[in-house]
Amino acid sequence: MPYLQAISLILAVFAFPCVSVAWNNASPPKYGRVIIKKHSERAGLAPVIFDHWVHRSRFTCRLCHVDIGFAMEANGTNITASMNRQGYYCGSCHDGKRSFDGKITFQACSGGASKEASVRCDRCHSLGKNVVREYEFADFANKMPKAYTGNGINWEAAEEQGLIKLVDFLDGISTQRASLKMQKDFSLEVKASWVGEVKFSHKKHAIWNGCEVCHPEIFPSVQKGRTKFNMFQISDGQFCGVCHEKVAFSLKACEGCHISPVGIGR
Amino acid sequence: MNKIKISVAVLIAAVTLTLPFSAVYHGAPDIVGSVYSQDNWKTEFEIVCAKTQDPMTLSPDELRMLISRCDQLRTLIDKLDETQRKVYLRRLQMCKDLFSFVLESKENK
Repeated sequence: MPYLQAISLILAVFAFPCVSVAWNNASPPKYGRVIIKKHSERAGLAPVIFDHWVHRSRFTCRLCHVDIGFAMEANGTNITASMNRQGYYCGSCHDGKRSFDGKITFQACSGGASKEASVRCDRCHSLGKNVVREYEFADFANKMPKAYTGNGINWEAAEEQGLIKLVDFLDGISTQRASLKMQKDFSLEVKASWVGEVKFSHKKHAIWNGCEVCHPEIFPSVQKGRTKFNMFQISDGQFCGVCHEKVAFSLKACEGCHISPVGIGR
Repeated sequence: MNKIKISVAVLIAAVTLTLPFSAVYHGAPDIVGSVYSQDNWKTEFEIVCAKTQDPMTLSPDELRMLISRCDQLRTLIDKLDETQRKVYLRRLQMCKDLFSFVLESKENK
């Protein structure tokens, strides 16, 4: 049996880097960055740079991916300027009227030929441009608890410490909801002998995502052991990998999920 | 005398005109319901999708009812303009999928 465990470990050490081409090696400021380019270039504009960290420091995942309706994959929403101007997608918040943290949002895709309008376009349509950002990652990250992967920010600790207060309701967009009923945390059975078990916290996930971000699209069964998946699928962007390795903490942080000690002969 | 005749005629005409509406209201609640829903699809949408907060506490019958309400809402949302339809059909589908998912998991227990 120790031979089998040793072989498993050797295979894992050599095989996992093969799939690690899918690993997100972006620098902390660029981790979670999405380039939106479906219509921009045709309209004579630079593609949009969307930095998740700016938005996730203020809003829950659910607000954008359920209430506003953004798809979970890059360029999956097919946003147009007209939709934004009508008050949907980016225009749900960026309407020139709503205010967050005491600041009125700029109006997305409001057009115009003035220099002021051009500067406004550049706030989002900035790929390849030297645009001065209103929010600097370093200034923000310096105040946050640290993590060693992803954005380098421990978002969960940041919320627990009251450093970020996430908005989960947008007037006129979100539905009035009762408080969320949390489901129990549970353990996931791990087949490999060299990694610890996974303790899945419903609370940690549901507080930012609600139920419908994950079920049934990402996890199609609530019955324990029915949805089977492995690290290859996860690193390929399925199951946990829909968020982890893209926006949520990286797969390199094994102990984020595999909570018990890792090692041969445990 | 003429004034009385005119008043009676006006009264009869008024009663005749209002009768169909009262008949619809009392005798055909489904028609009224659909008219109500068309005007207030968003209210119905908000009521239905607010239930995604605690789907595991709902009974199979309640879940089936919610799925059916999602299907009815879909026909109304299908008539909206392109952008509204796109946004709300996706949101509605997420609600319906969650209810179906919970119902299936309860039935398979």
